Amino acid sequence: MSELYGKPEYFTNRECSWLGFNARVLSEAKDKSLPLLERLKFLSITSSNLDEFFMVRVASLKEMVHAKYTGRDIAGMTAQEQLTAIARLAHDLVHQQYNTYNRVLVPALKQSGFVLITQFEDLSADQAAYVDRYFEENVYPVLTPMAVDSSRPFPLIRNKTLNIGALISKKGEKAKNEFATVQVPSVLPRVIRLPEGQDGTVYGILLEQVIERNIDKLFLNYDVVCAHPYRIMRNADLSIDEDEAEDLLKEIQKQLKKRQWGEVIRLEIEEKVEPKLLKILKKELGVKEDDIYSIQGPIDLTFLMKLYGMKGFEAYRDKPYTPQPVPGMNDTEDIFTQIRRGDILLHHPYMTFDPVIRFVREASEDPDVLAIKQTLYRVSGHSPIIAALAQAAENGKQVSVLVELKARFDEENNIIWAQKLEQAGCHVIYGLHGLKTHSKITLVVRREEDGIRRYVHLGTGNYNDSTAKLYTDCGILTCSEPIGEDATAVFNMLSGYSEPKRWNRLAIAPIWLRDRFTRLIARERKFALEGKPAHIIAKMNSLCDKQIIEALYEASSAGVKIDLIVRGICCLKTGIPKVSENITVRSIVGTFLEHARIFYFENGGDPEYYMASADWMPRNLDKRVEILFPVEDPRLCSEVKHILDIQLADNRKAHILQSDGSYEKVDRRGKTALNCHEYFMEEAIRRAAPEETKIMETRVFVPMEKPEE
Amino acid sequence: MAVKTFAAISIGSSETELKIYECSPSRGLKELDCVSTRLNLGLDVFNEQRISAENTEELCRVLLDFREIMQSYRVSTWRVCATSAFRESRNNLILKNYVEGRTGLKIDVLSNSEQRFLDYKAIASVTQEFDQIIQKATAIVDLGGTSMQISLFDKDKLITTQNIRLGTLTTAEKLAPYERNRAHFDAMITELMGHELEGFNKLYQKDRQIKNLIVVGGNLVEVMKPFQKENKRITSVTREQFLAQYHFISDQEADEISRKFDIPVEKTTVMLPALLFCRNLMEYFGVDTVWFPGFSLNDGMAFDYAQKNREIRISHNFDEDIIAAARSISKRYKCNQQHIRCLEAVGLQVFDRLKKQHGLSPRDRLLLQIAIILHNCGKYISLEDVSDCAFNIIMATEIIGLSHLERQIVAYTVKFNSSELPDFEDFETGGEINVENYLRIAKLTAILRLVNALDRTHRQKCPEFTVTLKEKELKIQAQTDADMTLEAGTFREKAPFFDSIFHVTPVFKRKKKL
Repeated sequence: MSELYGKPEYFTNRECSWLGFNARVLSEAKDKSLPLLERLKFLSITSSNLDEFFMVRVASLKEMVHAKYTGRDIAGMTAQEQLTAIARLAHDLVHQQYNTYNRVLVPALKQSGFVLITQFEDLSADQAAYVDRYFEENVYPVLTPMAVDSSRPFPLIRNKTLNIGALISKKGEKAKNEFATVQVPSVLPRVIRLPEGQDGTVYGILLEQVIERNIDKLFLNYDVVCAHPYRIMRNADLSIDEDEAEDLLKEIQKQLKKRQWGEVIRLEIEEKVEPKLLKILKKELGVKEDDIYSIQGPIDLTFLMKLYGMKGFEAYRDKPYTPQPVPGMNDTEDIFTQIRRGDILLHHPYMTFDPVIRFVREASEDPDVLAIKQTLYRVSGHSPIIAALAQAAENGKQVSVLVELKARFDEENNIIWAQKLEQAGCHVIYGLHGLKTHSKITLVVRREEDGIRRYVHLGTGNYNDSTAKLYTDCGILTCSEPIGEDATAVFNMLSGYSEPKRWNRLAIAPIWLRDRFTRLIARERKFALEGKPAHIIAKMNSLCDKQIIEALYEASSAGVKIDLIVRGICCLKTGIPKVSENITVRSIVGTFLEHARIFYFENGGDPEYYMASADWMPRNLDKRVEILFPVEDPRLCSEVKHILDIQLADNRKAHILQSDGSYEKVDRRGKTALNCHEYFMEEAIRRAAPEETKIMETRVFVPMEKPEE
Repeated sequence: MAVKTFAAISIGSSETELKIYECSPSRGLKELDCVSTRLNLGLDVFNEQRISAENTEELCRVLLDFREIMQSYRVSTWRVCATSAFRESRNNLILKNYVEGRTGLKIDVLSNSEQRFLDYKAIASVTQEFDQIIQKATAIVDLGGTSMQISLFDKDKLITTQNIRLGTLTTAEKLAPYERNRAHFDAMITELMGHELEGFNKLYQKDRQIKNLIVVGGNLVEVMKPFQKENKRITSVTREQFLAQYHFISDQEADEISRKFDIPVEKTTVMLPALLFCRNLMEYFGVDTVWFPGFSLNDGMAFDYAQKNREIRISHNFDEDIIAAARSISKRYKCNQQHIRCLEAVGLQVFDRLKKQHGLSPRDRLLLQIAIILHNCGKYISLEDVSDCAFNIIMATEIIGLSHLERQIVAYTVKFNSSELPDFEDFETGGEINVENYLRIAKLTAILRLVNALDRTHRQKCPEFTVTLKEKELKIQAQTDADMTLEAGTFREKAPFFDSIFHVTPVFKRKKKL
């Protein structure tokens, strides 16, 4: 199969594809139909996304080059080739970011009544006085200026910090410049509010501008020739991506040990920097030309998220959305009774995350509950779930929690509450050796009149009540016996015991999941060849697994209709003659972060629906514990189909992958506008409305019956 | 609550497993959880004759973990059984004491025949399917790593069980240095097995034509799963299907098999020799159908528990299996079957009448019956040294369903039927015969001696005895016209011993027929 469908030209490099995704996020910042602050938020997201991308992916590729790794990626590119391609795209992206910022957003902000002063020279006299006082009182005490001369070596510039570099000369010795640098303190707010104008206009200034204005106060016996902000990114504390080959990881680890601190992989510096200053930085930091990004505005746009959160300006934000109650659920009965009545589908954030919290909380209090088991990946700081689990242990329940410590950037946070749980008497498993536990599963064992009954929650997103308001995810609550048995087996395996003799319904990575997906795709192909209806709809965050893509190509060429909804990376190419002509790919980027993984297989007319914690990425299928679970209740199946249908019909937030690898918005001519996020929000509100209002909507009067005696 | 939970833990040679069951009269037994871990105690014993300290600690850790899991289901009753590795470990007494102390779990170290009986119970727990299988002559073979066990049915009763020291792992290991290729390896095993089976056949199979072979162990269930029929819990394959699957599998490498049948690679190591053993047995016996129940010892323990506590209803009488097995042994040693039947009838009557006096259990009644059935087997070896010969025969013969201790009780009862019962203080044994068991032996011996007197001449002069207990007098009345002088005399000789045990005076009366 590989010879037919595995040619490198049939695949897009994942980094390039990812940069394309970030460009789609940026397009939201450019979208005039969105409220201003929402647009700022999207711009901020592109900035933090890009930072993470450099920290993880670019750092990895740089290491590959150092390790003289000659392997090629799915698209046939070497690490160096990828870095070259990334540099081109990333420079372009940064250029677009600042174009959007300078030409569109800053003027619009001004119009809305917020003036962000980007150059201290623009301050009025009053404002300048305020700024100087602020500097004296708050900033100056926390600054540590460092100068470089023959007796003082170039200092260690810390990763990801914003700094101001300056050229200074001893008073009276104009000819001889020395380099000095000072870190913009991260403990102070980046944007400082200035006294309001008389017309109510709000003014703000960036912290680095405050420092720049006062920089001569830092070097008293010197003249400051010039001063410019800059920022670097190193690959010292990089968390090596689990996607890379094992042998490569070992090689890289060896390399890392040899070095004291990481190499600089990116330098961002103000565009109008003095060439002499840049030259010093370039030399001292050992940074390559390609890795220097000259910035036409403030460095590190993540501060825009703070502006998004500022008080007032309600008109410039989306109306806050409150997740709605789950249709069919009530507050009067206990949740177990409600689950027994039938499986429950949860669709976040349109529907509230409360039932999941309630599930754990009620289990912790219910006298008949014997045990609670859960996997936790990323949990919010003051998670009510953690509190409920601790309470359960104190109430004498058997509580087992698998806490994934390897979750990127969250390690420390996780250890703290894991220890808290342990102190409460929970049995805590700190992850599995060599595998990340990415599955989202909760099992409640309850003793009932007719024996033990198991209640299970399975989800596509983390048990995190904060992100559940921002990420679109799905989950089910069920007491299906076969799923309950499988859930028990999952936790036995996670505790280090043998695999079960058989699985009833679930498919678990890294052992069975890849095979299951491959077989499901192959089955559609078989149906297509037999002339039966064959259709796959798959929704996920990223698609970059070669084997799966090849299987999709093979299915497509056999006539299977394949509709993919892939938010981020997609290494699959559409429109390749005789390979992927039957495949469509759309990416939905909008208010909420698309996060659910849903899979539909036509199965010759007897459709099957699945959800999973896994994307179609090698790391999900081979290096993580993931769960694929079926949706079996016909009522839920039609709801899931509805979700997919609406996403496929979206013509506002969907970007369609073109055969040249670019993404374009849907041509809306002649169609009613449909924004799937808005649609689901409205639908959730409608469905959650009390019966009375619904009746009124139908405009049909319903006579009441004689009340019961 | 009507639903009870039961936990079974088996400490096997390569795996330690916990199963949690739920049982109720209405729904029967239901497995709730199965937790198992590889723990190669068998290898320790095979190499060093004892379980290593390292594995002992690991076993304790696992058992403590299991306790917690049991707790999470609020399990009310449990049983922990250990099999051959534990039994054969030279330090097993110390080991058992240590593990019990550490974990608070009492461990039953099963005898081989007890273990097989539980395995058999697991199969029999699928009542309907099982009843159907044993309509035709059936053999159960348990393919272990170091030995295999063959048990035979006669009609619907299990009558004999034999251990053959030919295990899947040990044979594969032994033959490995001589192996030239797969075919050569096959030929060697066929040759080896042929020899062993010939011996077995001569002694036990006789003219029974075995049609069904039930295979336990060897990890073969998974590879035979494709043939499982709907609504059947026990997978069965015909001779032809088996051979087809055999050829399909034996051509492949371990990792291929692992992938195709979705089983861990380490399980395949016993699979290939097991498959070969199976084929040989099938061909040797001329079997039509091979059955793969895929139950574990734990299933047998759970069934045993549920049956004993009347949590479930079953029709098969397992005591009958044990009795049938004992009868088959007694026939092999040419015991007089009519004499035995006669004694059984009266002996069990005596036991039943004296319930208050002896305070023994129904299980002891079964032991008495078996002692009666086997009481004369020593004569097959020597007419002079009957008691020791009988003792040795019984101790060397596996009686399916009996624990080692129970077998000892039977053997001693038979021994002291014709030799003096020593005082407890003078009793030389390995330690299992404590005061309680000594008393059981004494009581059973007293009954056996007394009733044996009633057919002194082995001529069944009296077809029927009636036994009545009145205050301190046990009256045994024979209804016959025959001359019973000899019997009455022997009876009187045995009476004082009986009296000394039960404080009941046995009285023999003859009533002439009209």
